[in-house]
Amino acid sequence: MASHGLTYEGCNFLRQRLVLSALSGKRVKIKNIRSKDDEPGLRDFEANFIRLLDKLTNGSTIEINQTGTVLVYQPGLLYGGTVEHDCNPQRSIGYYLEALLMLGPFMKSPLKATLRGVTNDLTDPTVDLLKSTALPVMKKFGIDGEGFDIKVRTSWYSVFVEMQSNPGMDKVAMHVILYLNLSLVLHPQVVKRGMAPGGGGEVVFTCPVRKTVRPVQLTDPGKIKRIRGVAYSVRVSPQMGNRIVESARGILNQFLPDIYIYTDHMKGANSGKSPGFGLTLVAETLNGYFLSAEMLSTPQGQGDPILPEDLGRNCAKLLLEEIYRGGCVDSSNQSLALLLMTLGQQDVSKVLLGPLSPYTIEFLRHIRDFFQIMFKIEVQKPLEDERKGGDKVLMTCVGVGYSNISKTLK
Amino acid sequence: MDGKVKKQKQHQQKHSGPKAEKKKLKKQNGSTEEDERKRNPKAFAVQSAVRMAKTFHRAQDIKTKKHHVPVVDRTPLEPPPIVIVVVGPPKVGKSTLIRCLIKNFTRQKLTDICGPVTIVSGKKRRLTFMECNNDINSMIDLAKVADLVLMLIDASFGFEMETFEFLNICQVHGFPRIMGVLTHLDAFKNNKTLRKTKKNLKHRFWTEVYQGAKLFYLSGMVYGEYQNQEVKNLGRFISVMKFRPLVWQTSHPYILADRIEDLTDPERLRTDPKCDRTVSLYGYLRGTHLKNKGQVHIPGVGDFQMSDVNFLPDPCPLPGTQKKRALNEKERLLYAPMAGVGGVVYDKDAVYIDLPANHVKQLQEEVRPTTELVQSLIETHVTLDAKMAASKVSLFSGSAGLDPTDISEVQEGLREIHVWDAHTQTQRRKVVFTGLEEEEDDVSGSSSDEDDDGSDQENQEEEDDLSTFLKEVRDKSEKATKGSTPPVKKRKLEEMQGEEEVIAEAPAFADSEDELERGEADSEGEGEAERAGDSGHCSKESEEDSDDEEDGDEDDESMEEEIGADDSDEEEEQGKYHSGTFKWKEGLQQKASAAFLRHQEAAPNLRKLVYGSVVEAEDSEEEEEELGGLFRVNRPQKSKKVQADALDCSHFNPDISHNWELEEMLNSIRDCFVTGQWEEGQDAATLLKEDEELYGDFEDLETGKVHKGTTGEQDQAETDHQSGRTKSESDEDETDDEDQQVKMDDEEVQKNKRLEKKRRLKERFDTEYDDGDATYFDDLKEEMQKQAELNRAEFEDMDDESRVQYEGFRPGMYVRLEISSLPCEFVTNFDPHYPVIIGGLGTSEGNVGYLQMRLKKHRWYERILKTRDPLILSLGWRRFQTIPLYHIEDHNGRHRLLKYTPQHMHCGASIWGPITPQGTGFLAVQSVSGVKANFRIAATGVVLDLDKSVTIVKKLKLIGYPYKIFQNTCFIKGMFNTVLEVAKFEGASIRTVSGVRGQIKKALSTPPGAFRATFEDRLLMSDIVFLRSWYPVSIPQLYNPVTSLLLPVGQKDSWSGMRTVGQLKHDLGVRNKPSIDSLYKPITRAPRHFNPLHIPKELQKALPFKSKPKLLQPKGKVPRDLKRASVIREPHERKVAELLRALSTVHHYKKKVAQRAHHAKHKEFLQQKEKDEEAKMKRMKDARKKLYRIMGQKDQKKQRSSLKGTPQDD
Repeated sequence: MASHGLTYEGCNFLRQRLVLSALSGKRVKIKNIRSKDDEPGLRDFEANFIRLLDKLTNGSTIEINQTGTVLVYQPGLLYGGTVEHDCNPQRSIGYYLEALLMLGPFMKSPLKATLRGVTNDLTDPTVDLLKSTALPVMKKFGIDGEGFDIKVRTSWYSVFVEMQSNPGMDKVAMHVILYLNLSLVLHPQVVKRGMAPGGGGEVVFTCPVRKTVRPVQLTDPGKIKRIRGVAYSVRVSPQMGNRIVESARGILNQFLPDIYIYTDHMKGANSGKSPGFGLTLVAETLNGYFLSAEMLSTPQGQGDPILPEDLGRNCAKLLLEEIYRGGCVDSSNQSLALLLMTLGQQDVSKVLLGPLSPYTIEFLRHIRDFFQIMFKIEVQKPLEDERKGGDKVLMTCVGVGYSNISKTLK
Repeated sequence: MDGKVKKQKQHQQKHSGPKAEKKKLKKQNGSTEEDERKRNPKAFAVQSAVRMAKTFHRAQDIKTKKHHVPVVDRTPLEPPPIVIVVVGPPKVGKSTLIRCLIKNFTRQKLTDICGPVTIVSGKKRRLTFMECNNDINSMIDLAKVADLVLMLIDASFGFEMETFEFLNICQVHGFPRIMGVLTHLDAFKNNKTLRKTKKNLKHRFWTEVYQGAKLFYLSGMVYGEYQNQEVKNLGRFISVMKFRPLVWQTSHPYILADRIEDLTDPERLRTDPKCDRTVSLYGYLRGTHLKNKGQVHIPGVGDFQMSDVNFLPDPCPLPGTQKKRALNEKERLLYAPMAGVGGVVYDKDAVYIDLPANHVKQLQEEVRPTTELVQSLIETHVTLDAKMAASKVSLFSGSAGLDPTDISEVQEGLREIHVWDAHTQTQRRKVVFTGLEEEEDDVSGSSSDEDDDGSDQENQEEEDDLSTFLKEVRDKSEKATKGSTPPVKKRKLEEMQGEEEVIAEAPAFADSEDELERGEADSEGEGEAERAGDSGHCSKESEEDSDDEEDGDEDDESMEEEIGADDSDEEEEQGKYHSGTFKWKEGLQQKASAAFLRHQEAAPNLRKLVYGSVVEAEDSEEEEEELGGLFRVNRPQKSKKVQADALDCSHFNPDISHNWELEEMLNSIRDCFVTGQWEEGQDAATLLKEDEELYGDFEDLETGKVHKGTTGEQDQAETDHQSGRTKSESDEDETDDEDQQVKMDDEEVQKNKRLEKKRRLKERFDTEYDDGDATYFDDLKEEMQKQAELNRAEFEDMDDESRVQYEGFRPGMYVRLEISSLPCEFVTNFDPHYPVIIGGLGTSEGNVGYLQMRLKKHRWYERILKTRDPLILSLGWRRFQTIPLYHIEDHNGRHRLLKYTPQHMHCGASIWGPITPQGTGFLAVQSVSGVKANFRIAATGVVLDLDKSVTIVKKLKLIGYPYKIFQNTCFIKGMFNTVLEVAKFEGASIRTVSGVRGQIKKALSTPPGAFRATFEDRLLMSDIVFLRSWYPVSIPQLYNPVTSLLLPVGQKDSWSGMRTVGQLKHDLGVRNKPSIDSLYKPITRAPRHFNPLHIPKELQKALPFKSKPKLLQPKGKVPRDLKRASVIREPHERKVAELLRALSTVHHYKKKVAQRAHHAKHKEFLQQKEKDEEAKMKRMKDARKKLYRIMGQKDQKKQRSSLKGTPQDD
């Protein structure tokens, strides 16, 4: 009676396949994982990801053959609860967090996942980026509430709460803090950061559970009203941050005066195991959508070192590129938004995206395999005299009417 | 009443007197209410805030109670027919009622009701009637799909158990509309009893359904039918009835199959009659959207994967939208293929087409898709030799009919399958050569994931010699078709198109052109081309070549251009495909190209990029080169392969063509920022102007100056000016252009502006005055309304083909499902009286797991249920047998196992079964076989939780005995067997039977399993020590679907699954030996012996006499000297005594007699006295009467005399 499974080849898009399998309850078999490679089979970080998935679910069976080239995953029910996981330093926490963001709302009990490892690296979206862009996307789908947050251990937020509870504070200071808080929450002052090869950072992701996801119409991105960012540096000279900010502002100031980039320098135990620096930029639109870009220094001992000025400039250009692509969801969260649309009620959902990334295209195919949902894809070409970047894509779909079957009825 | 009505006295208005005065005053002072409020403010003041609050709350409560949670209205524009299930015990008149209703709506007589009957009842409504037989399986299945239940009740008999069972089934699976119908009312001779029964039945029905539920009375039969007027009334009720959406039905797609075809290859059937069958099922899709290739459950058969779904033209369409009051006679349609109407009659292995004369006529008048369907229904499935001999071939009753010679001709080499090609809107008759059959099957079979490139080449080879052979065959088939002379217009059209058409319709391997095509595309593409456009997921685009897709996959940096190129390629190819000998396709090509262009506009290349790669996986087979027959060349993998093992990363690398140093690049995103240029309507200046217009007009009262708001034209100029200023960095000429353009259509703009302004004003007004008290509820409702509108509008203007791909098949469509591996019993034992329901399953509803449910034994079921007794559950679409464990939740959240269900309470139940969403109701029966007198529904409940593991525990008491007792410490043995076991329980609390609590301290070395324990008190050796522990129980993994539809005809209600232990014991005659301890034995109680109470002497002395023990010695023997001596009389004395006794006896007797006489006399005396008394009383009464009369007269006289002085009235 077990449902018919799906078969794929190769290790690419492993996360998508496993996550969709867990959500749809369909068995998935992945063959020929690096079968022609010198080191065949699953890598450590993939095995680590499967282990994390196992911690989150109840009753899933995972079969891997001797060489690790074939993986059969029969999903169980998503369980959630408190999970602690040491992520493999080959990939950053973002790799794991992207999957958790997709699974989080559909657990039996609210998720509180503590992930340890590399918080920022080059290949995956960093934790800062996900926090500032993925969470607002999910909030549009009705997934929010008390415990919806990504914390990098202690953040400014807790300080703010402390201040708020202090009755002796005068009003002006309060307002200043309130104003700052908006951006501070978006950019937590990461206290335990771990840069690429060494790691040593820690992230807590909490997510409430939802029975259903509501349909959305995200079609009008609005204009960008402000740009915020964090320039962070660990185990290097504190001047690095300032140099990054300087160069990034140089480019962005041509467009907007409302730019604030925080510098965040870490010392001692909070600075992880490896040196490095980086910049995360987030542009917020009037309608509350976020576009982001980020850039990091190359990890210690790998490749050519990068100058902080170059990094700041390049990152700013990346943000411009992202703005050029446009849409209501930035390029790294396209698949998350599309998944939540798919899992919505049986209503029409729409979202305006920039050009689809290869990852998203593959994700769309996977959604069709797992949920039999096809998206209506319409390209919106910019008008002649409009200066709003490149082509946009309007994605429309009817949700499958997914309901969280793990959640207990009381 | 006798003609004239008694006239009542008219009201006379008073014109004078106090009343009139009062009234006059009232009129002068105006309304009294106002007055009273003024005069008596206290009476109208808030006297108690609490009370006020209470009344307010109550009012609000009542108001909110009326609200339902708003849901998005997802009903399709053209809804599917309403399912009306006619239920009732046997011989109550179900078939008669259906027949009467059908006759009422369609003026047609249906002799036997078999399977669902669909009719058009009105301009906007269709009905599907389904009769429910007396099998609990059918009752359960039909309750899940019913929209309206007509519940027939034999009034002459009263309610029967089936009625109540069905009502309870309905209650569990969502309550559809229920209408009661009382029949057999003519059996009552006495009018009074009739009325009484009606009333009784009505009230009982109301308690079951709801107060005021509609109950119809069918008073009697006329010539075996119900009275026309009553049936008409019932029909009218049905056709205006509104229905409520049921949760399960609105969240799952389902089909009540009204037609079934066995598509299995006859050759395979011949070789293996028990092979799995490929079956196509037809019916209206209901509920929600159905996705292709999804999983379905057929109640009574099992779970299946749909191999294909496509939609067909509606066989029973709603009449056109012309303005008409009612349906005319011709439009009253009826569709019931299982019952032999609507064109098709069933046999085991053949289908008979029946087209009544009026149908044909009508169809010729106006071509409607119905007929095409009827045509498409013609499918024969027969082996060649044996079954053809039985001449079970399709027949057209309206036509001349096939003569046996024709048939024999057809027999020789080919047979035809009519395939409805929905894409081209034509009917294709596919010629299948029997020798090829298996080959063909292979090819189509390869549409599944495996590819067989090898077979491809074989096909090609075979086709060459086939093509010559097929030409002969074609000629024959032409003759055959002409001989049959199809009666319908469709057929005529085909003939007109002539030979080419036939050629064309012998599809793939008939032509060289096709061969080419096949050579290019692999077998997969072929299989798909056959069904082009039919299925939801393979569209035209999916047929594109493999290299195309690879391109698409490779990268997407320059995707736009590339795809453009691909497109043109593809179109060329299509052109090639269409050109050549395909005349028949020419018209189609235009249509197709038009559709294609439309497509291109709607969903251009990006869609192809994403979804166009259906065939991609198939052509990945790598050819291997060998070097010297020993070594293989290991080439570097293809690009696709590389991608398969590439880095899994969601980053989207930036476009290298963008150089952000350049000014023009920077300029291209200027407007994305708030500092950039705004759109016309949203510009700050424009908005300000608008406000000015709205609020600009005012008069300064002090100075008397009048300020005027600027008018529209000025606005325009101003805005242009301002916008020009804002974009200071942009080019000048751009603004100039804009200005010119604006002037060009100035009027238009002005008009639009005015309209816009008006609209905004109205909106503002509305928000201020209407939505002032808009509640959260109203907002929510509005939101839902908007969503519903969007849902409707989004895909409205698309053609069904592409729409189906996005939405899935929408409810209301007539669809055909193909299921490839149904058990053969489903076909061989098919009985149209049993409903075949295809219920779609949601994601992960196809899995099994543990279900935790809340369950309550039904109060009418007379036994309680035992844990681990198998039970048949109806949950979701499914009916299955499973083994439940009952449990109850303790205060600390522990699930404690129960041996039996509680009598009148809910308890938990855990089963191993199909994953079904929480909140779904279920019902349980012990057995589904046979008919029982008792109520069969054992329990009902709801699913609470789904999991892959369970935590049910049962209580386990470990018993030990003390063998050595010190003060409070004790050595206990017999509880455990080893030291290790004890070690595990160190620190556990234990207890004696008498309630002394203690704790396990440490294991002792000898004897094994003994331990030291301490207690709160000293134990006795006779005490028993026990340890209470909880032992986890595992749930047996039994999930046994009830396969009642697979049973032979006539035995479908005899499914029996696993037996309970009790049944097994009963059947095998096994009896348990009861435990000796549990046996009843005569109670023997040893006599109790109490020691005498000893009170010390000192104490005795101190006690008062009352309390002192009385030292009563037991009476000993009386000594002889104390005993009285007996008297012995002398003879004389004896004589005297005897005489005295005699005398006294006589005396006594005399005395007695005298006394009796005296008594009598006295009685007489008393009677006499009473009489005297009575007489005396009477006398006195008379006297008194007389006296009073006299007194009265005197009084009167006196009065009269006193009144004499006054003047008299009269």
